[in-house]
Amino acid sequence: MKRRKFLTHSTLAGAALPAAAMAQAPARATSPVTPLPLPAKTTAAAYANKRSGYSPFTVPDYYSYADDLQIERAAKGKPHQGKVLAAVQAHSDDIPLYAGGLVAKLVDEGYTAYLIRISNDEAAGKTLGYGVVQNEIDNREVAKELGCKKAFSFYYRNHRMDDCAEIEIRQRLIFLFRVLKVDTLITMDPYNHYEENPDHLVAGRAAEAACWLAGTSKDYPEHYRAGLKPVHVREKYYHARSPNGHNLVNRIVDISPYIDQKVRGNVANKGKGPAGEAGSRLRAELAKQGKKLALLGDDDDTANRQYIKHFLMEDWRLLGQRFGLQYAEAFRYIGSEGSHQANIRKYVDANAVKL
Amino acid sequence: MARADVKEIIIDRDQPGQPHKGKVFAAVHAHLDDIPLFAGGLCAKLVREGYTGYLIRTTNDEKCGGHSTAENILSNEQEHYKVGEALGFKEVFHFYYQNHEMDNISSLDLRARLIFLFRFLKVDTVVTFNPWGHGEENPDHSVTGRAVEEAAWMSGMANDYHEHMEAGIQPHPVKERYYFYARPGQTFNRIVDISSHIDRKIESIVECRSQGGGNHGSLLKAKLAAQGKRLPILGNDDRTADREYIRHFMLDGERECGAPHGFAYAERYYYIDQRGSEFTKVDEYVSKNAVAL
Repeated sequence: MKRRKFLTHSTLAGAALPAAAMAQAPARATSPVTPLPLPAKTTAAAYANKRSGYSPFTVPDYYSYADDLQIERAAKGKPHQGKVLAAVQAHSDDIPLYAGGLVAKLVDEGYTAYLIRISNDEAAGKTLGYGVVQNEIDNREVAKELGCKKAFSFYYRNHRMDDCAEIEIRQRLIFLFRVLKVDTLITMDPYNHYEENPDHLVAGRAAEAACWLAGTSKDYPEHYRAGLKPVHVREKYYHARSPNGHNLVNRIVDISPYIDQKVRGNVANKGKGPAGEAGSRLRAELAKQGKKLALLGDDDDTANRQYIKHFLMEDWRLLGQRFGLQYAEAFRYIGSEGSHQANIRKYVDANAVKL
Repeated sequence: MARADVKEIIIDRDQPGQPHKGKVFAAVHAHLDDIPLFAGGLCAKLVREGYTGYLIRTTNDEKCGGHSTAENILSNEQEHYKVGEALGFKEVFHFYYQNHEMDNISSLDLRARLIFLFRFLKVDTVVTFNPWGHGEENPDHSVTGRAVEEAAWMSGMANDYHEHMEAGIQPHPVKERYYFYARPGQTFNRIVDISSHIDRKIESIVECRSQGGGNHGSLLKAKLAAQGKRLPILGNDDRTADREYIRHFMLDGERECGAPHGFAYAERYYYIDQRGSEFTKVDEYVSKNAVAL
């Protein structure tokens, strides 16, 4: 009982008071290391991300950049009008933290978006029951803040999804992709190296496979009997998650115009993660000590937003800085493959000669 | 003959007219020949009495047919359509799980598909294997029966696969179940008189040529002819030979089951009715005991 109380307090306080708490923590012993230049004739295969140290869940340790790296900037008008995206996350805080800017951007550019949460998030909360209820609410509120039309939850047990039948999760996603006519997927990179949370890998793998199988005629044909049609999810944005991870990146998305919306998406996520109401808790904690932080403003709502923007979004600012942007998110983007048949036909048309 | 000892055995006779008009049943079997052999008479009877029937096969039947694995899948698939037609089913579905290996599949995947179909088709009644039937050596039968039993219940629960509602497909509980008598010693509590439906049952078995004995008559006729002989009961053409072979040699169980009750042919079932009464015990108590304030 005491230990549980201690853990709860330390988690909350850790989220609210990083600097103060860390200053009092005893330093852990480590072996001495020194920076070393790369040996001659070698090129770095991975780039270490700059970290602010303010958030446990932002950019991974390393990105490897593809040589066709692109920057996706805000588009004018509604170029994606009529298109549908599904943002699939294992937990209520995944999409808001890692891809909230991208979702807000694509919705603003015309996409209809749906947020699909795979787990029940029971592992975060005062009790398991309270955790499940709060995170259910959060998932809906996050969806609203990011501009999604609707939120779904599958409620698989949190941290235990490697015990689920992946094929059943995939079946449910195939069904939803077909019903919602999804064109584009945003989810956790299924190849997230050094990922320690099994839910992320299972969710990512199920979503990736569902994209392809939703377009085949022979998989779950009973859906077609109910009037559904095959859909081809042709675009995918995979985000990194593992704090110690190493991910391939080929697209940097400029989320500068959407940073405040991303912040609001994270404020809505109260049941878990480092965001939610951490700002107002810190403000209250300081007030008890007769102190205040100017950046937290004079009310709880401002405190929550400012805390997230100044502490939790800092790593996204540092990432943006690397590319001359105010704020950025990074993705492994997979686009439409195009038509091989059309390419062959084009060649034939250009090269066929008379007999 | 084992029987359920909790209640009297119910005798189910032909009903005049179409008392089940508007109701839907799903006959779920693992293999091409299961429904024809174990429940062909009941299915024909339910259709005749007004039910709309759907036939669902869970495996691909790849192990049976006497040809290559691929050819077996094709022949069983095509014959399944003919079985559905012979028994009057409106539509036929195939799930194609690997034959004899269904104990290695995700039972959740199978169950979810059945829940989807039970809801979408608005199934009121299922006919399938008894998931608790003893003496079952075929894993496909046990897995199929269990999945159907669970799906029948869960299809009525709004929080299971709630995403179906997004497509306008609503929860729909399956309230009646007929579990067939597939192995000696399995329990039953209902005898269904199928005498007037025996020809339809035979026609459905005739279509089971890859497995189930549908073509045994014509094969025997050809074998005898090669020896310069013939059996008069097999008639003069292959179709007649197949039908009469089944009638004379493959329906002993149905005859034995019907005889004590004066029926030419009968099938046995463990029947479960969960329809309940609209007027509950609480309603009854309230109506008797409620007093004015």
